[in-house]
Amino acid sequence: MPEVARAEYLEELANLEASALGGLDLVNIALGRTLEAVEHQDVELAQLVVADDDRIDGRYLEVHQALITLLATQSPVATDLRLISSLLHVLKNIERMGDQCVNICKVIPISGNEPPADREMVELILKMGRHTKTLISQAKRAFEERDVEMAQDLVRLDDVVDDLNRDCFRLALEIGDDADRREWAMTMLLAARALERTADNAVDIGEQVAFVVTGLFREFEDASHPS
Amino acid sequence: MLGAATKKRSEPEEKRAEMADSRAPGATSTEPVTKAAGRPAKTIEARDVNLFYGDFHAVEDVTMTIEPNKVTALIGSSGCGKTTYLRSLNRMHELTPGARVEGHVALDGEDIYGSRVDPVAVRRLIGMVFQQPNPFPTMSIYDNVAAGLNLNAKKVSKTQKDGVVERSLRGAHLWDEVKDRLDKPGGSLSGGQQQRLCIARAIAVEPEVLLMDEPCSALDPVATLAIEDLIGELKGRYTIVIVTHNMQQASRASDITAFFNLDETGKPGHLVEMGPTTELFTNPKKKETEDYVSGRFG
Repeated sequence: MPEVARAEYLEELANLEASALGGLDLVNIALGRTLEAVEHQDVELAQLVVADDDRIDGRYLEVHQALITLLATQSPVATDLRLISSLLHVLKNIERMGDQCVNICKVIPISGNEPPADREMVELILKMGRHTKTLISQAKRAFEERDVEMAQDLVRLDDVVDDLNRDCFRLALEIGDDADRREWAMTMLLAARALERTADNAVDIGEQVAFVVTGLFREFEDASHPS
Repeated sequence: MLGAATKKRSEPEEKRAEMADSRAPGATSTEPVTKAAGRPAKTIEARDVNLFYGDFHAVEDVTMTIEPNKVTALIGSSGCGKTTYLRSLNRMHELTPGARVEGHVALDGEDIYGSRVDPVAVRRLIGMVFQQPNPFPTMSIYDNVAAGLNLNAKKVSKTQKDGVVERSLRGAHLWDEVKDRLDKPGGSLSGGQQQRLCIARAIAVEPEVLLMDEPCSALDPVATLAIEDLIGELKGRYTIVIVTHNMQQASRASDITAFFNLDETGKPGHLVEMGPTTELFTNPKKKETEDYVSGRFG
């Protein structure tokens, strides 16, 4: 027997994990550009993010197919099986996060090239975005290091994002009677909502970390049964 | 009490009567092999079982409960003692010269190694199917199935025997394929059919437990699937223990899996981990099991 049996298969699995998690770096790049586009009302940069989402989708399709092939040809079980199952989940989360960036970028032209109606609200959204980027980086690291504690800590960060989202909502309610300002606030609320969902996806990735490590799946937070 | 005597028995008549099962053996019952699916089968309890071939300690300290109406798979690398252990469950291990057994094996609480227990009676209650299909090749299909009945002490009428043969062949999913050629030799069947014939022969004497030693390793995938389907159906009536090298087969066909291993060649095999099959293949508790089921060592 060789020193490590099935060395090629294990290497392939490790490469696919790196490739899938690399998708989180792509999301963070897209999210960084998205925030910049929001801050500067940069429609062209927003269009670039929309076009570039093909890269994230491509990563999803490529790694997804390779994982299916591995399932079909290598009959993975135990930890390998849990890892592959969780990577399939994570890929879907990554794809959704990319789409949320696209959603935000698509509303930027609607909000127009006029200066933002409410600077405070923009600041809140940028703050949400920065927190969400931290969540994504931390989710990636927790997965790579199989660190359940770090994964569970994502819930704390997500609560901050949720609070900021509620603050945005309050500001939108108080934006006044002007129709243009109200329309602008509505589009910003959509952006805030997309960021809030992106952060939730990062928490979902954290739940997958716990599954890979422990073999038990449980939601860190249950929206339908909040504690 | 365990088992009915066979005609080869040498014990005095009264002892034979004492050992006789209150349930009539298959050959004399009017309704053998028609036991309804879901009837309670029997539990095997093995405690501190140690098995030897002369001085060689083959299996060490195995304690396990084999549950009724479930398929228990024994997996592990070659030489880890799983087949030896299987053969100790119906007293076949001791047939090898120099072989001996220490510990306790009980069928529904009755010690099968008790001093007054007839090993032949044990083997009738706990049937075995082997790796290579081993029908009597020149004997007819009919006589292959009836072989166990013919060895029985009591006379069986032709009508009763016809009933048992048909029900056993139906039970083994072979009836439709052979009903028009029951007088043809067993050796004329395909490998998969021969294995089902052996299963029919095993269930004809109405056992409580079926032990299967790699029953599909000589079969193609289609025949394998047929046997696995059959195993799934038979567990409604019997307790089934299957030794397999095929990990997919263990994961497909069994409810409970027991993993055997040995520390190094020459050391005795032991039970590493036993649990629900789904758990063992998705989240094994021991690293040794994880490495084996993941194919990380051979």
